[in-house]
Amino acid sequence: MKRRSNPTRLGRSGREKLTNVILEVVLLLVGAFYLYPVFLICINSVKTPQEMAKSITALPKDIQWSNYADVFKDISYPMLLRNTILVTAIGVVGVIVISSLAAYILNRRRTSYTKALRAVLIAPILIPFHTFMVMLLKVMVNLHLAGSVWGLGIQYWGFCTPMAIFIYYNFMDTIPKEMDESAKMDGASTLYSFFHVIFPLLRPVTITVLVLDIMWIWNDLILPLLMVNTNVATRTLTLGVYSYIGHFVSNWNYALCAMVMSVGPSVVIFILLQKYIVDGVVAGAIKG
Amino acid sequence: MNKKHTTEKKSKEKAERKPRSLKAVNRMETVMYTLPAVIVIAAMIFVPFCLSMAYSFMKWNGVSSQSVFVGLANYKKALLNDAGFRHSVIFTAEYTAAYFVLSNALALLLAAALSRKMHLASLLRTVFFIPYVMSMAIVGFIWKFIFSQGFSSLYDLFGWKWLNYSWLGSPKLVYFSVVLVGVWYSLGFYVVLYIAGLKSIPNDVLEASEIDGAGAARRFFSIKLPLLMPSVCTCTLLSVTSGLQVFDVIMTMTKGGPGTSSMSLTYGIYQEAFTNQRYGLAAAKSVIYFIVIMILTQLILKGFRKKEVDL
Repeated sequence: MKRRSNPTRLGRSGREKLTNVILEVVLLLVGAFYLYPVFLICINSVKTPQEMAKSITALPKDIQWSNYADVFKDISYPMLLRNTILVTAIGVVGVIVISSLAAYILNRRRTSYTKALRAVLIAPILIPFHTFMVMLLKVMVNLHLAGSVWGLGIQYWGFCTPMAIFIYYNFMDTIPKEMDESAKMDGASTLYSFFHVIFPLLRPVTITVLVLDIMWIWNDLILPLLMVNTNVATRTLTLGVYSYIGHFVSNWNYALCAMVMSVGPSVVIFILLQKYIVDGVVAGAIKG
Repeated sequence: MNKKHTTEKKSKEKAERKPRSLKAVNRMETVMYTLPAVIVIAAMIFVPFCLSMAYSFMKWNGVSSQSVFVGLANYKKALLNDAGFRHSVIFTAEYTAAYFVLSNALALLLAAALSRKMHLASLLRTVFFIPYVMSMAIVGFIWKFIFSQGFSSLYDLFGWKWLNYSWLGSPKLVYFSVVLVGVWYSLGFYVVLYIAGLKSIPNDVLEASEIDGAGAARRFFSIKLPLLMPSVCTCTLLSVTSGLQVFDVIMTMTKGGPGTSSMSLTYGIYQEAFTNQRYGLAAAKSVIYFIVIMILTQLILKGFRKKEVDL
């Protein structure tokens, strides 16, 4: 093979650098354009209606923080936030306990029974929510799970578990069986050895499951709308803001404040934890 | 050490003496550990799903304690004389097609650019991912504001004619608006999936092709794309199924309107049940919808199984 001379190589990498710089500038512009709607929402949320009527694109001259204070009170923001945190916490803790235990046993005891059970338990991944939502309310009312924050959190156990079992089960293959056998030799019960030996090893996929399910539950509208909409005190953040914008508010600037207050926490948390979140989302999608 | 040994011995003895009871204990454990999962999945998914199947043959208004068995009447109605349902099927299919093509093509393009060695690559990835962490319902509101208020203000600024169109008020344009918002919301998700796929391509293959004299375009289509097929398969499957499930953005941005021009299948089912109180008909529509999704999923999976390449 011919050896490449040095000058052409340098020229090539120089050209590559130049393309990269041009590409970076173009992409920065595209990125700014991409988030421009969000920027418009933010700047208009602190304008007066009169200022908004003049121009949407101009920067606010007289910043009205009082818009936020008003909306904060109107939608009882702390209550909505508390409900959402509660629902999400109940949901993800239940999902992680239920699905990691089930996946552990299904993975370690391979009989025809557990194989069939595994297929049945992960099959619902393919069933979209909207295909059974019509009858869901009736079933949940009968189970006394509709109308309360607790009930709503518990309902997510059912929806998130199939995917979580699937993810846990596949990862369990990478943990050698000797790990739990040695724990058993020491006289530990199955439950003890699971929580002290196996569960800590599941950390990477537990993060994946956490990310997927927190994002789902935190942002969900349809299930809270069906289950807890009748009582104002049980609404979640997305639902509270949805009904506030949809039914109560006629001023766009208040509506915009509510939007910022609704998606603000998720965006801030994403920026702080983005490595985990992006990795979790990618892992969840590839395994799914 | 000694203790360990005796317990080991004990458990061995136990196993030898009473093999049946150990088996029974194991079986008990298996049932106990999987029971919570079985109960919650059955209660939240299988029972409502089977009830939907059953009620698709009934007439029920959601309130009365009595429902009437009507046979296949709901299916007949949905498939033969329901113009709204037919329209929502067409809208959903068109939306899914555009959403699938645009989000995959744009994401592939962006991922190819962002996986180069750049200083700002991770910042840019964050920028495109931000909408995806928001609630889809609120994203619908955000764009409702942009389309209804922001565009007219931008029109005053730039004077471009298309900014002055009624993007949510015209039956023809609303389709493009919904597609735009759907793609805007989830583009970053597909970008990170494709970046992960591109990073998993071994460098030596690319270098070898470069030494063999393949140009950038040739390298992309002959080497990268075939090796990227698993990612393409994942993204195709996810974008088609999530396209078919479009709901929140319709609910907050257009409410299916103007008229019924942006009514999606899922939103139509929701309205049929919870607004029109025709649960039987809504159940029949959900069963039809389920069958369509199942067939499409299987077709996509089969289609890709043939195309995957090994190194």
